[in-house]
Amino acid sequence: MGLMQVTVRPSQERREVAAATVEALLTQLGLHRDAHLVLRGNEILTADVRLKTDDVLDIIPVISGGSRP
Amino acid sequence: MKCTRCARTANVEIRRSRQAYCAACYPDWFRAQVQERIDHDRMLRHDDKVLVAVSGGKDSLALWHALVRLGYQADGMYLRLGIGGYSQRSQEKAEAFARSEGLRLHQVDLKAEYGYTVPDLLETRSGKPCSACGAVKRYQFNRVASDLGYSVVATGHNLDDEAATLFGNVVHWQTDYLGRQGPVLESTHPKLVRKVKPLYRLGERETAAYALVQGIDYILEECPMAVGAKSLIYKEMLNALEESQPGAKHQFLVGFLKKGRASVQVGSFDQATQLKECVRCGQPTTSLVCTHCKMADRGREKAAARAAAVDGSRD
Repeated sequence: MGLMQVTVRPSQERREVAAATVEALLTQLGLHRDAHLVLRGNEILTADVRLKTDDVLDIIPVISGGSRP
Repeated sequence: MKCTRCARTANVEIRRSRQAYCAACYPDWFRAQVQERIDHDRMLRHDDKVLVAVSGGKDSLALWHALVRLGYQADGMYLRLGIGGYSQRSQEKAEAFARSEGLRLHQVDLKAEYGYTVPDLLETRSGKPCSACGAVKRYQFNRVASDLGYSVVATGHNLDDEAATLFGNVVHWQTDYLGRQGPVLESTHPKLVRKVKPLYRLGERETAAYALVQGIDYILEECPMAVGAKSLIYKEMLNALEESQPGAKHQFLVGFLKKGRASVQVGSFDQATQLKECVRCGQPTTSLVCTHCKMADRGREKAAARAAAVDGSRD
């Protein structure tokens, strides 16, 4: 299994990860499924999607803290 | 994974209900959930004049977008908190959204109109930044709604927010707050506008997915003053639980609202007989001078001291 490029937003931190599925990717990075969205281009991926070596992925954290308006 | 509705490739999975939707079907599902909650909890009527509390983040913009699509008369209000570049960027997102949708956005600038910013509330006796900021927001959104004749204030509180708040209130046994927690806060004073939370059963991930699928450009970065906030710690814990028990956050919140809340004494702020008007600003309060006026005094003192220190260093 080859490495794929992953960018974690909004920090734009770049990681190279080898994972077979979206679920495996998040597990490997120690990220909770309910707290992140994984995108390939503009497409949101479900946890079961199989990943390919040349995939370029973005991870968007969805949790915000502090006070709400 | 296939879309529950059309069987095409799914994009957004709803683990707690074992459903999934493609990008084309997801917005309809999301808005149907919002409408169902509005109807079930009698949050809004179509003749209500709604003021949406807008931060430039995913929840408030998703809420505003969904309410307008569902046919509600909803204007927005953005509060300029003065948190450096973060406030500037979130203001731009709120303004850009309002402009692109042709919607009305009211704005209040704390520094220009009240002489202080949220960072001025740090290191005062006003408490932690998020609780002080929350108090300022509640005051300002209510004041503007009341002054401009809005019948309801709608906020983007989601399932994760509400479950985290509940968890915090249980950890500290804040019975007053527990009694007040719910999707609707009725008006108990002529100047206290009704408040509703139409997204309270939708997860934070679901509102983010709605914003992305609908092309809503929201601020991704976290408020710099929220670093280390208890709410983030509680959310992390609840998401760890959700990982192995999908639906745990939902069960925790909904179980409390159905079974637990009735047995908790209602908070004092909701007892109409005790509410009076602040002698300085006229807004509802339980004391002679309201919390906001006291907090603003301390914020202005801090701002003046900071300005004097800068002037002194130039001499």
